[in-house]
Amino acid sequence: MDFLADGFRRALALLLSADAEVYGIAFLSFKVAVVATVIACGIGIPLGFVLATRAFWGRRVALTVVNTALAFPTVVVGLLLYGLLSRRGPLGGVGWLYTWQAIVVGDVLLALPIAAALSAAAVQGVDPRIRRTALTLGAGRWRAAWTVAREARFALAAVITAAFGQVVAEVGAAMIVGGNIRGETRTLTTAVALYTAQGDFGLALALGVILLVLALIVNVALQLLQGRGHA
Amino acid sequence: MLELRGVRHVYEGRVVLDLAQFAVPRGSLIAIVGHNGSGKSTLLRLLALLERPTAGEVLLDGRVVWAGSASKGFLAGRPKGLPIGRPKGLPIGRARRRVTLVEQRPMLFRGTVRDNLGYGLRARGIRRTEMSRFMETVAERLGVTPLLERRRHELSDGEVQRVAVARALVVRPDVLLLDEPVSSADRAAAQALYRVLEAERRERGLTICLASHQLEDAYRWADDIRALAEGRLSPVTPENLFRVELPAAATAKPAGTKHVKVGPIEIAVMTDKIGPAILAVPPTDIFVSTVPARSSARNVFPGRVTRVARPRPGEVHVAADVGGGVELIAVVTEEAARELALVPGLPVVYAFKASAVRVF
Repeated sequence: MDFLADGFRRALALLLSADAEVYGIAFLSFKVAVVATVIACGIGIPLGFVLATRAFWGRRVALTVVNTALAFPTVVVGLLLYGLLSRRGPLGGVGWLYTWQAIVVGDVLLALPIAAALSAAAVQGVDPRIRRTALTLGAGRWRAAWTVAREARFALAAVITAAFGQVVAEVGAAMIVGGNIRGETRTLTTAVALYTAQGDFGLALALGVILLVLALIVNVALQLLQGRGHA
Repeated sequence: MLELRGVRHVYEGRVVLDLAQFAVPRGSLIAIVGHNGSGKSTLLRLLALLERPTAGEVLLDGRVVWAGSASKGFLAGRPKGLPIGRPKGLPIGRARRRVTLVEQRPMLFRGTVRDNLGYGLRARGIRRTEMSRFMETVAERLGVTPLLERRRHELSDGEVQRVAVARALVVRPDVLLLDEPVSSADRAAAQALYRVLEAERRERGLTICLASHQLEDAYRWADDIRALAEGRLSPVTPENLFRVELPAAATAKPAGTKHVKVGPIEIAVMTDKIGPAILAVPPTDIFVSTVPARSSARNVFPGRVTRVARPRPGEVHVAADVGGGVELIAVVTEEAARELALVPGLPVVYAFKASAVRVF
């Protein structure tokens, strides 16, 4: 267990030395995770609302598809996306393979089902009287939806947290479509995987600690945004 | 004002409501009575335009707002598709703004009572200054002014109910629908609420339709009572109602028994109440005979059969004029009706015990 103690020592040293490469990697991870979370939640939460509140043909099938997608292996998503983005693939012309945008797309695909399924559950958890009361008091569809969202805000905050957790910890798709290129598409997770494989436990551990700190900061920020605990 | 036509509502494969016609006239106070599960809440949600009936139409001021979802395929409910020659349909959003429902066990939104009261006004884009004036009047009337800064978890069930009624009245709806509005209120609070509703009705012609299982309130405040049983209008409950003045003292009569004038006849009742009241004689408690019999019944009225109706198999409703146009309805079995050969014009004797008469 010596390497653990050694790793922590090196991690601390790295963090304090403001190593440009380490911070560059952390910043890229943060950027990718935030952009992917915003896109995934921006599409997924309204989708969850629709799945939860509107009766339409095929709703059950849609819910099942979304719930199944929750269990989608990240490497499979990476693989499929690689096929699409590779130069011979249908989207090869975009030229996104081995860019940070490709990682974002992969992460969005992975976080979208989480955002949709969990927000559908969150909205279904809100007492139906809330929406009815909003409508009967003269609210339109959008205001009624906003009122429901306010009632479900803890659950919806959990949706964002879960989506962010998924994308910040994601390594499979990022590795495949990002390529783990130093200074360009190397994220915290892919770097940890690489340095562990190279036997550089200290550096890997240091990056792992940064990853945890990043997650902690985002969660604390979300907690503060939710405001007071009471109804 | 509000009307349902040929409405059938199916929920999870079960018919929960089946009404050929149900109208709430402008300015009236209609009470719907019935047991839990009789369809009262569903009926109110349909009237509130919150649920679309499976079949049939909902009309506001004679204009179709909703046509049943099952009646016209996938274009159902689009007023555009209505036959020519009928008034144009009313858009659902505009119609909803004129009808407001207070649910049974209402829910307040997150935020203060003040936020809740302002919700409907904000939804209508009403300015803040106008808003507080409206709100304060209504809050004062319903006695929720001291609660304005509280949040929903700081209120009792009765207070939540009052706030919910206030929240609905603030938007000055044309029709107010109330589902068991006083279920969590004590007597005094209930009477106070009814007085507020009465005032709104008098001052600006508010139309009210409320569901209640407290018959007493229904009889006292409503100008029409409709009984629901298993999703259908049932004719039994609201019959034999008389508005009376109960005399002050029961002189020289057995304690508790009073003789109350109803038109030319006097009905013996057991009550200690005085003043204005409503008497209800349950149609199933009336004995029908062709000759007077000596019995314990304190109320014995000879009369003539005016109508015989059979609303359901095996159940015969017999109306008789028992003097001076006072009509009593008795419910008898098919067998009894046959044995007594009950037909209009037949002389009969109606008898019921003083203790059978309900006083409200």
